[in-house]
Amino acid sequence: MELKVIGKGVPKYDAWGKAKGEVIYADDFSMPGMLYGKVFRSSLPRAKILGINTSKAENLPGVHAVITYKDVPRNNLRARFGQGTEIGAQFEGLYRVLAEGEVRYYGEPIALIAAETPETAEKACDLIEVQYEPLPGVFDPLEAMQPDAPQIGEKQNNIASHFKIRKGDVEKGFSQSEVIVEGFYQVGYQDHAYLEPESGVAWVEDDGTIVIRVSSQVIEHFREVAEVLDLPHSKVRYIGTLIGGGFGGKEDITVESYLALLAWKTRRPVKLTYTRKESLLVHSKRHPYYMYYKTGASREGKILAVQAKLVSDAGSYAALSPWVLLYSTVDAVGPYNVENVKVDAYTVMTNTPITSAFRGFGAPQVNLAYESQMNELAKKLNMDPMELRRKNYLKQGETLASGYVYDRQVPLDLLAQKAWEALGPRKESTKPHTKIGRGLAVGMCSYGRLTFLHDTSRSYVRLELDGSALIRCGVPDVGGGQGHILAQIVSEELGVPLNLIKLHVTDSQLTPLAGTTTATRQLYMSGNATLKACRELKQRMLKKAAQLLGVKEEDLEVGEGRVFMRSDPSKYVALVPLINRMSGDGEELFVEAQFNAPFSDVPATEIIEGRTHPDFTFGAYAVEVEVDEGTGKVELRKIVGAFDVGKALNPILVEGQIEGGAVQGVGYALFEEMPIKEGIIQTPSLQEYLVPTSVDVPDVEPILVESGTGLGPYGAKGIGEPPIVGIAPAILNAIDDAVGVRITSLPATSEKVLMALKSLKRSK
Amino acid sequence: MTNLQVVTILVNGRPISAPVEAHESLLDFLRNKAGAVEVKCGCNQGDCGTCTVLFQGKAVKSCLVLALQAGGKEVKTIKGFAGDPLMEQLQESFVRNGAIQCGFCTPGMLITSYAFLQANPSPTREEIRTAISGNLCRCTGYKKIIDAIEEIAMKRSEKGPFRPSPSTYSEGQEEAKGNYLLLGGG
Amino acid sequence: MINSEYLKPADLQEALKFAHQFAGRARFAAGCTNILPDIHSGKLKECVLIDISDLKELMGISREDNFISLGSMTTIQELLNSEIIRNEAPVLWEAASRFADPVVRNRATVGGNLAYGSPASDMSVPLLVLDAIVCLQSKEKGIREIPLRDFFTGPGKTVLSPSEIIVKLKFQSLPDFKFYYAKFGKRNAMAISVASLAVGARLGKTIDEARIALGALAPTPVRAWKTEEFLKGKRIESKVLEEASELLLSEINPISDIRASREYRLELARSMFFRALNQITS
Repeated sequence: MELKVIGKGVPKYDAWGKAKGEVIYADDFSMPGMLYGKVFRSSLPRAKILGINTSKAENLPGVHAVITYKDVPRNNLRARFGQGTEIGAQFEGLYRVLAEGEVRYYGEPIALIAAETPETAEKACDLIEVQYEPLPGVFDPLEAMQPDAPQIGEKQNNIASHFKIRKGDVEKGFSQSEVIVEGFYQVGYQDHAYLEPESGVAWVEDDGTIVIRVSSQVIEHFREVAEVLDLPHSKVRYIGTLIGGGFGGKEDITVESYLALLAWKTRRPVKLTYTRKESLLVHSKRHPYYMYYKTGASREGKILAVQAKLVSDAGSYAALSPWVLLYSTVDAVGPYNVENVKVDAYTVMTNTPITSAFRGFGAPQVNLAYESQMNELAKKLNMDPMELRRKNYLKQGETLASGYVYDRQVPLDLLAQKAWEALGPRKESTKPHTKIGRGLAVGMCSYGRLTFLHDTSRSYVRLELDGSALIRCGVPDVGGGQGHILAQIVSEELGVPLNLIKLHVTDSQLTPLAGTTTATRQLYMSGNATLKACRELKQRMLKKAAQLLGVKEEDLEVGEGRVFMRSDPSKYVALVPLINRMSGDGEELFVEAQFNAPFSDVPATEIIEGRTHPDFTFGAYAVEVEVDEGTGKVELRKIVGAFDVGKALNPILVEGQIEGGAVQGVGYALFEEMPIKEGIIQTPSLQEYLVPTSVDVPDVEPILVESGTGLGPYGAKGIGEPPIVGIAPAILNAIDDAVGVRITSLPATSEKVLMALKSLKRSK
Repeated sequence: MTNLQVVTILVNGRPISAPVEAHESLLDFLRNKAGAVEVKCGCNQGDCGTCTVLFQGKAVKSCLVLALQAGGKEVKTIKGFAGDPLMEQLQESFVRNGAIQCGFCTPGMLITSYAFLQANPSPTREEIRTAISGNLCRCTGYKKIIDAIEEIAMKRSEKGPFRPSPSTYSEGQEEAKGNYLLLGGG
Repeated sequence: MINSEYLKPADLQEALKFAHQFAGRARFAAGCTNILPDIHSGKLKECVLIDISDLKELMGISREDNFISLGSMTTIQELLNSEIIRNEAPVLWEAASRFADPVVRNRATVGGNLAYGSPASDMSVPLLVLDAIVCLQSKEKGIREIPLRDFFTGPGKTVLSPSEIIVKLKFQSLPDFKFYYAKFGKRNAMAISVASLAVGARLGKTIDEARIALGALAPTPVRAWKTEEFLKGKRIESKVLEEASELLLSEINPISDIRASREYRLELARSMFFRALNQITS
């Protein structure tokens, strides 16, 4: 049956509002009597707090509240995720609202202020006096792993989590390998640099409910905020705004606990918005990783063994570090069939700001390593890099490193070929001082959350009496069309024109909870929940129409505002009379459906085995660069990204994810550097932390391949995160192709490339 | 204590008066005194472009203008273009071409594009790319934004039908369909 | 807390009067592309903002005798729009096209860029090659003209006295010179220069005259006098270029900072210099 709305690049329902400037983002919202919140932060990366004197700040005219940890009903919580499952005893999931007795990172929140103007709040900050006893900090995870390192967290050992892969026998594999390649790779922080800083407004309703209107990817955090305030979950409500960029940076609680506390204490609405500097200095970042890889292969190019040691910087509070580490562990070998695998992955606490979720969630880091290894191996084997990969791609029915049998198509060869071909005929540089090179890299990235978290999502669809429709779904929309796509599904299934569908999203009490907008899960989860609701409603419609027309349900179809006989469209019931008839007959014109992802058990030991995710998306990048041998500058000439998206429900939105993800990956690969010195980030502005501008990137060419094998609606796979996986090693491989230097750390700044070129020249 | 001075600025054709501090920016004035929250604050340092407005007919970053400098002068935000055919075309093109994801860069981006097209009726794609280089976007990778602007530029200069740069899917683009592959089954 | 005041002079004389009155705290507010970020970052806490953005006496691009004259309030975009600049000062035009980004160019002024005194000042480098003269005015010192080469005294420091304003700059167009300009930043727009270079040369059978200016490579923007002297009368051959580049490196003194290391900046200067000379003499 031909799809009418699905598969079309129709504009999003929120696009016009955004184009007209009518969308009210978090900081755009104000309420009468509103106060302004500010966070007072630590000026040391590690210290004991001997005393806090807030009296001067409290007495400043215009200040309504100054809160420290003593005023927080429950200042320390164990971090939870959705369904509240923790992994094992070694996971430290401490969420501390305000510093208590010590500070572990520069910028750690110590106190909260609510005042009548932002200037007064700032002034009050200057009046808070803290007596510190500075302590020696440890800022590097390798150092922090040492037995004599100072204890940063609650455990003696700074290793927050250790995960392992043990597949086959790597010693045997290496002994059989005729070629072995070892590599040491290093990646640093990446900041989400969403254009909208963290922001929200909170107020207390007449019945004592705390309402938080906030830019957040996870409205289920209402539970944690309630616990912080020692209130029942039912007394905290999140109203999620349309988000001005998330990428995982608004996945943990950002401003919400502070807002709730200030509103609750002052009984006034309170607004809190981070400055850009604040956001860059203290909000959660992508994990820096040290990665040691050893890859062994036969002379024919069959990879026989992979051993990897991964060490990530968990920051000073673990947040999602163990989850990110777990993803890296599962993805460590990449989409290849390797019999013998040994991975040891550690995430280690240091006295640095928090590291947590960022698009890719541990996949980009290991992808950099394994795809660089592939090219180095190809060199040693004197083999074409694409050919080498072809000999090792995971195939349907083979096992991942975790031992999980992957039972779907893996069209990597096709993706790699298509991407490569799209680069077109190879041209040499016309300038004397530059060289042109090309690089390929593939990647895998999961979609759907960890299966042992028992993920679920809910959506509600209602038909109106005039044939329009209402969707209520808790889905937070970060701009990728997470909300919009649900309307396309309803339109397709129920024949309601798009412009007659109203979407009501992201309210933790008024819309069914759809789960986090993270892990590339919304299309999969809330899309399927919506589809399920539609199909249930459709069944009722078909049943009633069948009755009315005196035909069988199977002979009927829904479309274009009617329910009609497939074989004789002149026999039909128009939607509006049908709906009204159903209503009159006491039928429910609404369905709230729940969709469950596959469930697995929490890993019993540190060894990761079996299924960890619902599914993976595979992709390939082909990149052409021009390297200036005199300056080391890498200019991107062409970027092609080919992805198996399962089914493109809205190709324009899908392309947008690939194009945007590729550019964010270019930033990671070439521009975004966040040096940290003694625990303090050295790039506290967007003039120092450089994200790509329009003239730093070419047009990304997306290639969409539809295998139809996804678990999402209509066979769709997730595409939000996958495009950031693969682009960085493709660029590094292209640099190597151009000028013969293997860069092993990100970003590959022009200085780094030039210094590598000089080294190379000297060694010749 | 700083002195407050009353300033009157014509915002979208309406005079708005409010007391401001000497160092208060036009952005502060627009968001906090004029109720023009459609002008965004992404960095307050001139590094992101989300605060771009039309000031005396030119695209400027409003966080880099003193409110008092704008006294008696005209400022146009994205809401000040009702009935303006070029802006409406641009907005429609942005919407249809997928140039809007999170939308936070959009008001500033539209104003920069508008001012650019007014001054440059027949730009190349590279010139368009350069024109928006002061407006960051973290979501789209810029391609569809440039597509959207180029489409309007071509329509206006009658350069013929717009062909977006290579990608797999555009309705009615026969040659693009080659990249759009159905694998079926599995 | 920021202690600020705003004054709007009706004309240049009143501006100078205010500057004199509040010398030390006075800041001329033109494009504000440096002042406002400094206020927001806390670098500037006390200021009397004298708004010169409407002063006609500071505007305009014109010819005076055989000098091209730029009012200090000339915006970077106005430079780009000017036929005079495009045709007669292409090295300045090039630098303007790489300055910040198109939106900031609508507000940033030539005078503001010079007065801020950054060693990476993008306008200073071509203007140094053009041997520009800066015309200053104040109540105490009246009018004085300073060659740009003597204008910068250290990072963020110029010869400007606390109440002195740049009124205009002037330079002669050099029609028989060939020019080269390059700016190297960490990205292609909205980038503070990591190194910038402008070269102007009058060529006969040899280099009759060479002018070399560099930015972001020393405590101030500089002219490479010794290198210029060395190149005079020489033919362009690889040995000459080698020696010249060594001399050049001795005339700069780059630091290591968040953007680049000293070593890298030296490399860049070398590469850019070679490229410049090769291009000019080809």
